Amino acid sequence: MSGLAWGAFYGLAAGLVIAVAALIGVWGERKVSARIQMRIGPQELGPFGLLQTLADTVKLVLKEDITPRAADVRIFRIAPLIVFAPIAMSLAVIPYAAGFAPLDTSVGVLFFMAVPAISVIGVLLAGWASRNTYATIGGLRAAAQMISYELPRTLSVLPFVLLAGSMRPLDIMDEWRWWWIPLTLIAFVVYFISSVAEVNRGPFDLPEAESELVAGYFADYSGIRWAIFMMAEYGGLVAASLFGAAFFFGGYLGLPGALGVIVLIAKATLIATAMMWVKWTYPRMRPDQLMGTAWKVLTPMALVQLVIVGAVIPWL
Amino acid sequence: MTLASIIFALLGVVAVSGAVVTVFARDVSRMAMGLGAFLLAVAGFFVYWGATFLGVVQLFVYIGGVLVLMIFAIMLVHRSPDGSPLLETRHDVAALAVAGGLFFMVVMALRGVVPDSVNQGIESGPAELTEAFLGPMLTHFEMGGVLLLAVLVSVVVILGGDDR
Repeated sequence: MSGLAWGAFYGLAAGLVIAVAALIGVWGERKVSARIQMRIGPQELGPFGLLQTLADTVKLVLKEDITPRAADVRIFRIAPLIVFAPIAMSLAVIPYAAGFAPLDTSVGVLFFMAVPAISVIGVLLAGWASRNTYATIGGLRAAAQMISYELPRTLSVLPFVLLAGSMRPLDIMDEWRWWWIPLTLIAFVVYFISSVAEVNRGPFDLPEAESELVAGYFADYSGIRWAIFMMAEYGGLVAASLFGAAFFFGGYLGLPGALGVIVLIAKATLIATAMMWVKWTYPRMRPDQLMGTAWKVLTPMALVQLVIVGAVIPWL
Repeated sequence: MTLASIIFALLGVVAVSGAVVTVFARDVSRMAMGLGAFLLAVAGFFVYWGATFLGVVQLFVYIGGVLVLMIFAIMLVHRSPDGSPLLETRHDVAALAVAGGLFFMVVMALRGVVPDSVNQGIESGPAELTEAFLGPMLTHFEMGGVLLLAVLVSVVVILGGDDR
């Protein structure tokens, strides 16, 4: 029974980590965007406005959970969970500390890329079940975007599989060398851009473009279910940052125990802040630019990176 | 009854329920959800039998790719506003006969090949698969590639047949 108990514990922990990360992330995003727009941001509740998001959470939980009359009730209610659960699962394979990843599997890298793909179904079903044109268009846009960017994103982490000769994250961390940073620079650019697109954040937030689609696939959601969508977005951001920090920047850098975890989180925070910076700096892209970037720019870049790494390996 | 057999039975229940929903649901989005549950259970079976790589690829390709494209297509087609049945013709009896016959054939063919429902604890990861595909299974692997190429060419021929 220990396996099941451990799994249940892990599931609970992942949910909690994402909830806390979303709380801090929303606060951080408000502060970052405020800085960029020369404002102060939240400051009334708690020191530096830290308790603002907590107050917002209480509001969201207590808010009425509205289901539109025309909606497909069951699918409408279950869709946020289908979006959220895979994101939480993907956190399991990240190497947090020397010799520790909650789910240590030989296909960890593929797992991290494959499992969040399930959440696309949740997004599509949310758009479909709302029976609302804006939501449907948002869902379709999200699916097209997420499928397109999955390809360069997966290609961008393949250099590490080649260099380490393994798909097990802990093996890759053991083999990691500092000169992998300059060697995989192109891959990092591809990973960074496609991760921003994968979690539907600006300038790739076409599925929820508020000026044209209200809020896209979650336009009809309110209260706690809306909050679950937000948590999934920030969960995706956290997972992408942690994975990027671990693989592209050496993660815990051989430091033992808690010290290594702190270093990993610090690097991930830098990546997450850069993602927020990008969101508040660039205007939203057009759909054709969005697809063109994935297929004509990022995918060839990722392939060039693979060729470079392939050419270097025989000399190692 | 061990934990492994309980998980196996649960996966079986999910797979069969998903398949039943896929066949009998009157609404296409429900069908897609049923199919998703079935494919997820199949991925679970792969992991259960120690083929983790295959399980994750099943997730990636069938749920993250094929199913998403199917739902995508469903969303683009016309939907009746009152939620009435979207399928006008059905061949339930014939489908049941074909499914029953196919099931019988599969059971007869696989009898003796599949061990009983206990995980053998063998993990076939990417390294083992690569060794098999580039070693003793190379011909089968290449044949699979040729078959897929033939399928692609036929699709091009069928779709572009009238385009002179």
